[in-house]
Amino acid sequence: MANIKEIRDRISSIRDTMKITNAMYMISSNKLRKAKKQLADTEPYFYALQAMIARVSRHIPDDVEDIFLQTAEGIPFHARAKGYLILTSDKGLAGAFNHNVVKLAEEHIRESNKLVNYKLYVVGEFGRHYFTSLGFKIEENFRYTAQNPNLDRARDISATILDDYRNGVLDEVYVVYTSMKNSLTSEVKIEKILPLDIIENARNRYRIIDAYNEEFIFDPSPKAIIDNIVPNFITGFIFGTLVETFCSEQNARMMAMDNANKNATSMIGELVKQYNRKRQAAITQEITEVVSGAKALKRAKEIKQRKNRASK
Amino acid sequence: MERKTFNLQVMSINGIFYNGRAAEIILPCIDGEYAILPEHEELVLAIYNGKMTIRDEIGDKIDCIVGVGSAQIANNRVIVIVDTVEKPEDIDRNRARRALERAEEEMRQNNSIKEYYTAQAAMARALTRLKHSSDYGLD
Repeated sequence: MANIKEIRDRISSIRDTMKITNAMYMISSNKLRKAKKQLADTEPYFYALQAMIARVSRHIPDDVEDIFLQTAEGIPFHARAKGYLILTSDKGLAGAFNHNVVKLAEEHIRESNKLVNYKLYVVGEFGRHYFTSLGFKIEENFRYTAQNPNLDRARDISATILDDYRNGVLDEVYVVYTSMKNSLTSEVKIEKILPLDIIENARNRYRIIDAYNEEFIFDPSPKAIIDNIVPNFITGFIFGTLVETFCSEQNARMMAMDNANKNATSMIGELVKQYNRKRQAAITQEITEVVSGAKALKRAKEIKQRKNRASK
Repeated sequence: MERKTFNLQVMSINGIFYNGRAAEIILPCIDGEYAILPEHEELVLAIYNGKMTIRDEIGDKIDCIVGVGSAQIANNRVIVIVDTVEKPEDIDRNRARRALERAEEEMRQNNSIKEYYTAQAAMARALTRLKHSSDYGLD
């Protein structure tokens, strides 16, 4: 059984940890608020761009050749060279946040490609460690942090990926990220960004009908426009996923810290109860000792008196 | 007579920059500037780094520096989507100058083609920023 001092030390150490978890909770909630605003700002751009790509691609003449208009249909699914952009966080203490991401990514890589012909672009320290320790080959020069997502980083990332895509290193590109379903729950998503599904859908859908209502002039050329907006879209998408992952990370950390705080409070309650019981037991024991000591003295005195009386 | 206007939306990753009626917009294109007036025909334009000028419904001029993007004109509505849009007075000239120097250095280093293009794009962005913010005598 622990003695009083040990319990007291434990309580104070829990209190100290609680100060840290409390501070982390506050920091996370602050960061989350900022990141959420950023996310809300990018939304209109993102939707407008999506609509624009769909519109342009269904008005584009059939004879236009462009890398972004090609599809990977000619290659069987398992044989396609796949690139994965995996977004994790740099730090732990965020519950199962990172594990969910890497698990889903790992599953997809193992199943769809039998571990060949893949390329990993991992953002965040956690993911890099995880995949290196499993022996996956990850892109060495791709080093980006998950902290404070900004446009420059998204631009760099999309330039790297688009370059590999243009050079034919990759046939398909997926992003694995965590999206905020609502303010409480987030879920891991895997999405294909290249080749773009919206282009394919738009082109397939509108080729059947003899759509004739509006005719666009493309200046300088349809190819130039596609080359301009698709990288923008990819950058925007990557920026959005970076921000969303950051939001989810902060959210996960907030919840983890909240749980830690709750657990700490209940632990402290339990320990304080134990401490009080111990203290009470010690006091009782002391009183018992004093009382019994006094009683023993009294009895000794009585015996002495009796003896004295008897000898008289 | 009332001035003819069109509906204009200018958006970037950082949010909506302009949303309302406008009388004219001048866009930086590959071979020079392209002005769009109300009731323009249907058109999709590619936009490159440069200066964009909006004349709003009361005739005030709004200058801004834009990045790569595109514009779509249909039914007297113009939607401009660019990766960045800034007012000249918001541009941090020191930051742009640093970016330019960095890009110049990177281009000198005989890197891969990809790095070369990235540096070139960064350089173009920095140069347009510097060029157009100097019009305001902030230097």
